[in-house]
Amino acid sequence: MNILGISAHYHDSAAALIADGVPVCAVQEERLSRHKGDAGFPLLAIETCLQQAGIEREALDAVVFYERPMLKFDRVLTCTLRAFPESWRTFPKAMKNLLGEKAWMRGIISSHLGVPARKVLFTEHHQSHAATAFLTAPTRRAAIMTADAVGEWATFSVGEGERGSNGTTKIRRFREIRFPHSLGMLYSTFTAYLGFKVNEDEYKVMGLAGYGQPTLVEQVRKLIRRTPDGAFALDLDYFEFHTTAERSYSLRFVELFGPPRNPYEPIDLDTAEGQRFADCAASVQRVLEDTLVDLAQTLHQETGLTDLCLGGGVALNGVANVRLLAESGFERIFVPPAPGDAGCAIGAALYCDRIHFGNPDRDLPDHPFWGPSVDGSELARIAQEDGHHIEKLSENVLIDQIAGDLAAGRIVGWMEGALEFGPRALGHRSILTAPHTTKMRDRLNREIKYREPFRPFAPVVPVEAAERYFDIPPGGTRLARFMSGVFPVRPEWKPQLQAITHVDGTARVQVLEPGMAPRLHALLEAYGRRTGIPVLLNTSFNLAGEPIVNRAVEGYSTFLRSKIDILVAGGTRVTKRTSAMDKTEAGRMKEEVA
Amino acid sequence: MDLPRPHERPTAFDRMLTPVHRWIWSDTDRRVQKLLRFGETETDGGRDILRAAEVTSDPLLRRLYLEHAIDEFRHGVLFRHRAAELLRASQTGSNTGFQGDWLAPGGHGLDDLQVDGESDQNMLAFLHLSEKAAASRFSVYRDVMQHDLPTRAIFEEILHDETFHMNYTLTQLARVEPRLHKRHLWRARLSRLWKSYLRLATGIAAVLGSILLTIQYFVLLPPFAWLAKRAARREHFGWTKVAPGRNDSLDRQY
Repeated sequence: MNILGISAHYHDSAAALIADGVPVCAVQEERLSRHKGDAGFPLLAIETCLQQAGIEREALDAVVFYERPMLKFDRVLTCTLRAFPESWRTFPKAMKNLLGEKAWMRGIISSHLGVPARKVLFTEHHQSHAATAFLTAPTRRAAIMTADAVGEWATFSVGEGERGSNGTTKIRRFREIRFPHSLGMLYSTFTAYLGFKVNEDEYKVMGLAGYGQPTLVEQVRKLIRRTPDGAFALDLDYFEFHTTAERSYSLRFVELFGPPRNPYEPIDLDTAEGQRFADCAASVQRVLEDTLVDLAQTLHQETGLTDLCLGGGVALNGVANVRLLAESGFERIFVPPAPGDAGCAIGAALYCDRIHFGNPDRDLPDHPFWGPSVDGSELARIAQEDGHHIEKLSENVLIDQIAGDLAAGRIVGWMEGALEFGPRALGHRSILTAPHTTKMRDRLNREIKYREPFRPFAPVVPVEAAERYFDIPPGGTRLARFMSGVFPVRPEWKPQLQAITHVDGTARVQVLEPGMAPRLHALLEAYGRRTGIPVLLNTSFNLAGEPIVNRAVEGYSTFLRSKIDILVAGGTRVTKRTSAMDKTEAGRMKEEVA
Repeated sequence: MDLPRPHERPTAFDRMLTPVHRWIWSDTDRRVQKLLRFGETETDGGRDILRAAEVTSDPLLRRLYLEHAIDEFRHGVLFRHRAAELLRASQTGSNTGFQGDWLAPGGHGLDDLQVDGESDQNMLAFLHLSEKAAASRFSVYRDVMQHDLPTRAIFEEILHDETFHMNYTLTQLARVEPRLHKRHLWRARLSRLWKSYLRLATGIAAVLGSILLTIQYFVLLPPFAWLAKRAARREHFGWTKVAPGRNDSLDRQY
């Protein structure tokens, strides 16, 4: 049975294909269209899925959309009516937006794919999140908690999932909290207030929080209060996101926290203003963590289960995840590699397969590599055409040579195998460097990633060596599998791991099992043999504002535009020709014009 | 002052609009908003051209496109930095006010161009005309920017690059399509015209749609708004139970 899952039209569209109960392909549209956060209908992703599975559209048994569009329309319309007459500017925009396309998903999917309308199905948004979290996790029975900004009406839900011994699967959601009361929207409001992009830059708030003190917790608590039944509710006087699309926070919010940050001004942490912003970030982070821990504790007591599956965009908050592991009572926490909306494509398809069609449960490969594969020969061809130095090396020689490059302080663009599904680069499309000095971190920030200096870089370490360098509690290795947890760097290793140690002494570590990415694991071991420390800095292979690279040619163009020293795809290693671009026709023409 | 090079002379249409541009650029807030928008347009254009570099099979074009894309990204940074400087100097923050942006941005004329599916010939023709149009417009902006020399210097620098972009796109078009390159240019001109019409038409439709919906909002919605507000007052805070069976059917869109 072939089931296609689609997530689209909010941010980060994606498609995933399940064939006979197992994912064959899952990919975000942005990785193919090359438009970051592409929210359009994911035609390219769908084509890629079908191509990778080797099937035609007619062979699809069902196409599942990750949310119920009319329920979403109901929420938008209701909220607009409730905000009458202040919503007069929002109303035309919202109606044009929804009625233009988003409300008619059955027809749109049917016409785009040429499948009969009866084959188009819909799951609820948080149902999809829950399915992604539970059905991709290696656990038989677990509590499920999902939290994001908003789906149709739900913003937060709790429940449980169970895989029966007879192959049946159940996911039961007990209860939910509804819009506009939303932890995700609370965090996003601070993201906007701090001058970052909503739905995209929330992780910057988490990074900035490390530089601040939670001195404004009491103020943040004025925005969110706990209800008698143990849920939470926002004080809507401080927000505007429910009445207008133009601004998330109200004047009262500004009176409480001071003027918002100008997004075009850098944050200077040496000034009182910069420190205020960092304190705001630290405070909302603390309140988010406290709330999540409390809700998870209740869920743990209620279910008595040891495992928790976390879904929704809030599950990308690695600091909160580690506090949940430490304080909620759950022994293991599972966060999928794509807990956000893109991941819902896979969740919706799995839900349809296991629960709607009642197909027997199957264990799924526990990795994030579901996208297209990279072609080393493509890199060799184009680099050769441009006159760069190419080597095609055997596995062992390549690993040894790259380990040598890294030990010599070179920056390596590393592409191998299938593309990761989800926002993290987990070793198949990564920029790797030595993690030892702040000089390297600054070089990466200045010459390659062009990003704010307060944002930390992540390390990757083999599972065998992880606890030597990082203080990982029981259960933490699982969180660190997909970089979903932030753990302290052991004090004795901080001087040798400066580039990946955040200001608060932590790191968002990826703990790598050999089976998940054998080649990267071998590289870490080889690097360890040379330097004594088998840890590398692993950051996503992209430049600021661009999606993570997919094909070799995209890695190559990124390599040429930045100061990455070495590019690897498959068995091909490329080094830049000195002053390569000076010799091009462009250089000559420019000189003539000048 | 140096005489403008041939490609830096504005078209008659742009010259006619000079007083309008002078008025727009005279105000700091409007200048900031324009520069920020240009910053986005240049960066978006850069991404499209970068994509063209990634998909072309012609090695020389790949290198030229890459060079071009790097220029566009740099222009985006120049515009953004200048806007930030003006914002800092104005101390008041920017009041967006009238934007005149109800038309979809034209940018490099690439907004509707599916770079992945375009031939090198089409891409080069599009780029040539887009750069030419941008150079004409930017030369007007440079000329009306007598009161703001740093911004003027940015336009001057960008114009220099645009001349290179115009030259290489035309030369390369003649190389890859020696016989029919003029036909490609004409097709690109017609395509730009068609896209301009579409932008105008969708812009007008959007404005009309907004007017009609706003009228509906005030005429038809008040009783429903009253009902919705009343229902909201009755709504309880906190948990809402998910009824068993609520999600049993995947056929429903609601």
